[in-house]
Amino acid sequence: MLNKLRLFTYLSAITMLSACATSKTSDNDSTLETYNRAVYNFNTQFNKYILKPAAQGYRKITNTYTRERVNNALANIKEPISAVNHLLQGEPVDSGKSIARFALNTTLGLAGTYDVAENGWNLEKNKTGFDDTLATWGVPDGPFFMLPFVGPSTPRAATGLLADSAVNPVYWTTIHDANVHDKIYYSYVAVNGIALYESKMDILDDLERNSVDFYSTMKSAYLQNRKGKSDDSDSISYDFEMEEDEED
Amino acid sequence: MKKSILVALFAALCFNINLAHADINAAGAEDFVKKMTDEGIEDIINTNVSKAEKQSRFKKLFNDALDLDFIGKYVLGRYWKTATPEQRSDFINTYRELNTKVWSERFDEFKGRSFQFKGTTPSNSSGQIFVNTIVPMEQGEPATVVWRVKQDGDNFKIVDIIIEKVSLTMANRNEYTAFIKNNGNSIDALIANLKTKLK
Repeated sequence: MLNKLRLFTYLSAITMLSACATSKTSDNDSTLETYNRAVYNFNTQFNKYILKPAAQGYRKITNTYTRERVNNALANIKEPISAVNHLLQGEPVDSGKSIARFALNTTLGLAGTYDVAENGWNLEKNKTGFDDTLATWGVPDGPFFMLPFVGPSTPRAATGLLADSAVNPVYWTTIHDANVHDKIYYSYVAVNGIALYESKMDILDDLERNSVDFYSTMKSAYLQNRKGKSDDSDSISYDFEMEEDEED
Repeated sequence: MKKSILVALFAALCFNINLAHADINAAGAEDFVKKMTDEGIEDIINTNVSKAEKQSRFKKLFNDALDLDFIGKYVLGRYWKTATPEQRSDFINTYRELNTKVWSERFDEFKGRSFQFKGTTPSNSSGQIFVNTIVPMEQGEPATVVWRVKQDGDNFKIVDIIIEKVSLTMANRNEYTAFIKNNGNSIDALIANLKTKLK
């Protein structure tokens, strides 16, 4: 069931984007906008009735210390994703550091709950994924679109997410047994989603409360943040024209 | 011949860029933001005064430090041109009130934290500069906060705050123009909606 759900999520996005790719530009924007707002409304209801109550419950039964341990462990699980992608980006040293971080934190860091690699060995976290790899290879980002359950995305980000999930140790260590895989992998996805939402819940509530069109706010923030990742000393994404006689 | 034209164009471009940056007092802009954040943290967040007094102090600091007329005009985008003088005035006042309220609530989040200053970066907009800061967080990487500062004579004003590469002014502009567009191009509908958030 969950496999089908995940497949539906990606297929619906790909179908939508394919449909848009064959239409004219003006129709493209408005069709995509209609689709995006529909998925946004669905996600809003999903967050309101399922994800947010779960995140609130999680916050109620845990303290900051416990949540930090959980967040560390979840981040540690994703270290192999960084290791593989650093390699694909031609950064073998960074890849080695990610492997060392994973080995140290999984063992001495008690299943990754403590970041001993950073605190004891000065091996700082350097997270990356297949989305960054595609960017390094010059693959364009594509249009903004909303993924069901996941939220803001682009074709490149969605492809990166899909590829990263296949490299995730929880995925490939359980793939041999469908029953075990479904139970463990989707429990992991649920815990990951709840922990992530809990960490962003206050700021999301604040932004939504003070926004007249939260979809547009979220889209703007997401795209600005992505654009900013390729900033260098010669090009700053947020240095848009802002003059005294600004009219448009 | 072609080479000399290219050289001349390049020189003209450099000259224009230099003109845009030459009139900026980078150290002054950084001192201005430093003074503002210090004052905010010491005299508002970390002090033992009533909530009403804190809000009053914050309102003064916020309105002195930010050029909300300039920002308000920018965030209304192309609709500023079509707005009547009454709508412009009403929008600016509402935008000012809303931001003061929202940021006075958000400012407490900085309790126990401090801004670390990381120099300045020039802007392509004339008379403006970016002051770079980071804020260490309880968990994970420090947050980057960049202040876009506009200099007018000897005075400085903040015209944008960029958190983790997200310009709040640009986010507001995208949000407000989308709202107006989706509500029959009505600026009054936007102002009315913003006013509901002041309650």
